[in-house]
Amino acid sequence: MLLLEYHNLLIQTLLTERFNSTTPTSIDQIISDFDGVTFHVSTPESKTKILVSISVKCFSDLVKYGANDVLRREYGPYVVEPEVGYDFSIVLDLENLPATQEEKDELIRKVALLRRNAMAAPFERAIDTHHSLSTEAAKFTAESAPETSNSEVMAIHYREEEAMYIQASHDRVTVVFSTVFREETDRIFGKVFLSEFVDARRRAIQNAPQVLYRNDPPLEIRNVPGVKTDESGDLGYITFVLFPRHLTRQRREESISHIQTFRDYFHYHIKAAKAYMHSRMRRRVADFLKVLNRAQPEQEEKEKKTVTGRTFTRAT
Amino acid sequence: MPAYHSAFLEDTDVRIIGNFALLPLRTKTRGPAYTLPSLPAGVAELDLDPDHESYDILDETLTLFRANTLFRNFEIKGPADRVLIYGILWISDCLSRLKPTMTLREAEKAITTAALEQYALPGDPSFPLNALYQGPRDRGEAELLRGYIGQMRQELGSRLLTRIYADGTGKPSKWWLSFTKRRFMGMSL
Amino acid sequence: MAYQTPAVVMDNGTGYSKLGFAGNDSPSFVFPTAIATKGPAGGAGGSGSGRPAVAQKPSYLTGGAGPAGHLSAKRGTEDLDYFIGDEAIAMGSGPGYGIHYPIRHGQIDNWDHMERFWQNSIFKYLRVEPEDHYFLLTEPPLNPPEARENTAEIMFESFNCAGLYIAVQAVLALAASWTSSKVQDRSLTGTVIDSGDGVTHVIPVAEGYVVGSSIKSIPIAGRDITYFVQSLLRDRNEPDSSLKTAESIKEEFCYVCPDIVKEFTRFDKDPERFQKYVVDQGAGKKVTVDVGYERFLAPEIFFNPEIYSSDFLTPLPVVVDNVIQSAPIDVRRGLYKNIVLSGGSTLYKDFGRRLQRDIRHLVDARIKRSEQKSGAKSGGLEVHVITHKRQRHGPWFGGSLLGQTPEFRSYCHTKAEYDEIGPSIVRRFALLGGPA
Repeated sequence: MLLLEYHNLLIQTLLTERFNSTTPTSIDQIISDFDGVTFHVSTPESKTKILVSISVKCFSDLVKYGANDVLRREYGPYVVEPEVGYDFSIVLDLENLPATQEEKDELIRKVALLRRNAMAAPFERAIDTHHSLSTEAAKFTAESAPETSNSEVMAIHYREEEAMYIQASHDRVTVVFSTVFREETDRIFGKVFLSEFVDARRRAIQNAPQVLYRNDPPLEIRNVPGVKTDESGDLGYITFVLFPRHLTRQRREESISHIQTFRDYFHYHIKAAKAYMHSRMRRRVADFLKVLNRAQPEQEEKEKKTVTGRTFTRAT
Repeated sequence: MPAYHSAFLEDTDVRIIGNFALLPLRTKTRGPAYTLPSLPAGVAELDLDPDHESYDILDETLTLFRANTLFRNFEIKGPADRVLIYGILWISDCLSRLKPTMTLREAEKAITTAALEQYALPGDPSFPLNALYQGPRDRGEAELLRGYIGQMRQELGSRLLTRIYADGTGKPSKWWLSFTKRRFMGMSL
Repeated sequence: MAYQTPAVVMDNGTGYSKLGFAGNDSPSFVFPTAIATKGPAGGAGGSGSGRPAVAQKPSYLTGGAGPAGHLSAKRGTEDLDYFIGDEAIAMGSGPGYGIHYPIRHGQIDNWDHMERFWQNSIFKYLRVEPEDHYFLLTEPPLNPPEARENTAEIMFESFNCAGLYIAVQAVLALAASWTSSKVQDRSLTGTVIDSGDGVTHVIPVAEGYVVGSSIKSIPIAGRDITYFVQSLLRDRNEPDSSLKTAESIKEEFCYVCPDIVKEFTRFDKDPERFQKYVVDQGAGKKVTVDVGYERFLAPEIFFNPEIYSSDFLTPLPVVVDNVIQSAPIDVRRGLYKNIVLSGGSTLYKDFGRRLQRDIRHLVDARIKRSEQKSGAKSGGLEVHVITHKRQRHGPWFGGSLLGQTPEFRSYCHTKAEYDEIGPSIVRRFALLGGPA
């Protein structure tokens, strides 16, 4: 498994099972997802009405950038008043499902992507802004393009200590992640990993977005309120520059999905790398043990004497 | 919970040959056994209560057969248990003579023939259970025992067939035939 | 933190792993504890490299590196190319991948595979960032402390999980029974009968601690019942007697009867008791299998092992009685009073009732004998077998129950504590759910 999935597997399996079974049963499950996202799947009214609620840590940020519109667009007919304690809810009525299997699967997929869609709002807005800016900019020649065509920076504090900043301009969309490593080892792994990441573009994949990594806030977000400059080096900033070729109609959904899972992907790989190191360490230990076992002292043949002083050899 | 024992172990006033009890039987076959009254009208064999005066060791054998054939170990507690063992092994023997396609008439013929075949008595060299059974003391006892066992074989065979063909399909019940391969105490007649 | 993430509860058993979040009433995922990796399957006994770091008897044989021999040659992302659970089973049957079972007899046998199994469980299935969550793992009774330390090493050093608690499965199974209406006091004293697929354990637990010396296991469990059903089907020449069919019949039709002779007679009188099971053999072929005496005979092998096995002959009730009799005398009363069932093979209808009756018979007979000998009157002994709704995933559910309590986090060892003290910290845990 190289990449992480975008959808929530548990919601998918749960709904697939419910949709295809004939006997409705009650559900009450709390499901956690990356980055402080919590789902609650329940059947509060009747066994045929499944309520799926999501709570996102940074929902207020997302709403600011149009999350409600995106969600309404995606889940229009299913949206209901949010459940208490959650940010957004939809209801699926088992008695009112789409007729064909394909449509059902499509609906399941859509619900399983709830988290992705909620988080997609700022990206969509950024890309839209980029498109309008670029049409704007196309009216000028390269030389006369206004320097300050950048839009405001959107900040999404998706974790306690980490945030993501998105900025659109006429020729690019910049996404900056701030990362914190609480763990010494992780920071080192992270650095190695990131420098590989930065290099990847240079070496093999020419079409990849440009990636920059630095310890102080990049220029784009330096004047955003709340951005900390940290001297200890615990904080890092990773900048992705998405070029227009990543932002075309066909590509954009894919790009949004990818960039959202970046942090989880990043941490997943740090952990996978550690697991790999551990297996090598275990193997090494096993090898050393082999050597140690060979190094047992030889049994010295010692002359044994009885009380009376006669020698004898023990029958083995 | 080990295998089931005969409830007739408590009947002590029966004639015993070797260590085999000649328990009363409910049968029309002629022989030395004390004959119990036949079933009262309207009482089916299956519903017969163990305390009823017509209930005999053969009813018990038929009831316990399916449970007991599953067991390999059996502790003999008295002469009545030996009758039970003989009965169960005889049922196994009958089942192995039946084929799934036989009609009731064919089955009856096969079983009656088998029942009347030359059969070994306890004490005879060819009797397979001599480790557990003592032989009769003299010729007179031997004749009595032969008569009794013969009676048992015929009556048990015919009652078994009524059960096996009870479902009215004209074919032996697969539920009974499935016990053909099982060996009570790992033995057979 | 104002916002609390639910604890992750993982119960990794020999056969199946149960994963989910604390507070839910059933595990989110239940799949085989299997991992499919590139290359051929490891030979029996697992790979040498996966042995616990502190091997009790390091011999020439166990030091071998096993199938990881080509490890150093690996470049790129081969170490990520693997599948777990149902996917592993599916991939393993095809070419290119080999299946491994990292847990043997309840204990982790191959740490390399287990580490990767956990990795995929956490990131792909549960989708959590381990740094944000507390984890509750389970272990079998008599798990060596080294195995605990290895687990902690992986959990804290690879995954940086926020906090960890390792609980004994049997203790969690006791906690799971608290949901039963029959349980009045939430005690952690009782006898757990845990019957899964491969083996059945009888484990006495006194005030939250397993009485290790008294544990007995019985080589009869779910798989044996399936085999027995299969042999009965074959005796009758049913049109389909595959293991899969036998297993479905076992799960759908079997129950425990009070007395097999009476049950045979009931079948004679009431032909309705014979049932039919339709097997879909694929390609549109369907055959009907008759279901008869195996309905009650199959679970009967717990109570009369003789009808199935020729080398193990002690009935389950007798084993339970022996186990309790071998436990310290002052806890026996509590052990008889709270006999808790756990695991899929205890789900047969009336299993608990029959067990309770049989054990009570044994106990009453013993009391009567001792009364005759001593002449004193005994006060009698309560025997209770607890059947409850969460039996199937008992240990997991117990974990979920305890993991959602507000105190749970204070019982865990945190990452900071681990960093301070080291792996030995997990040798001791405060008793969860016990008297504070």
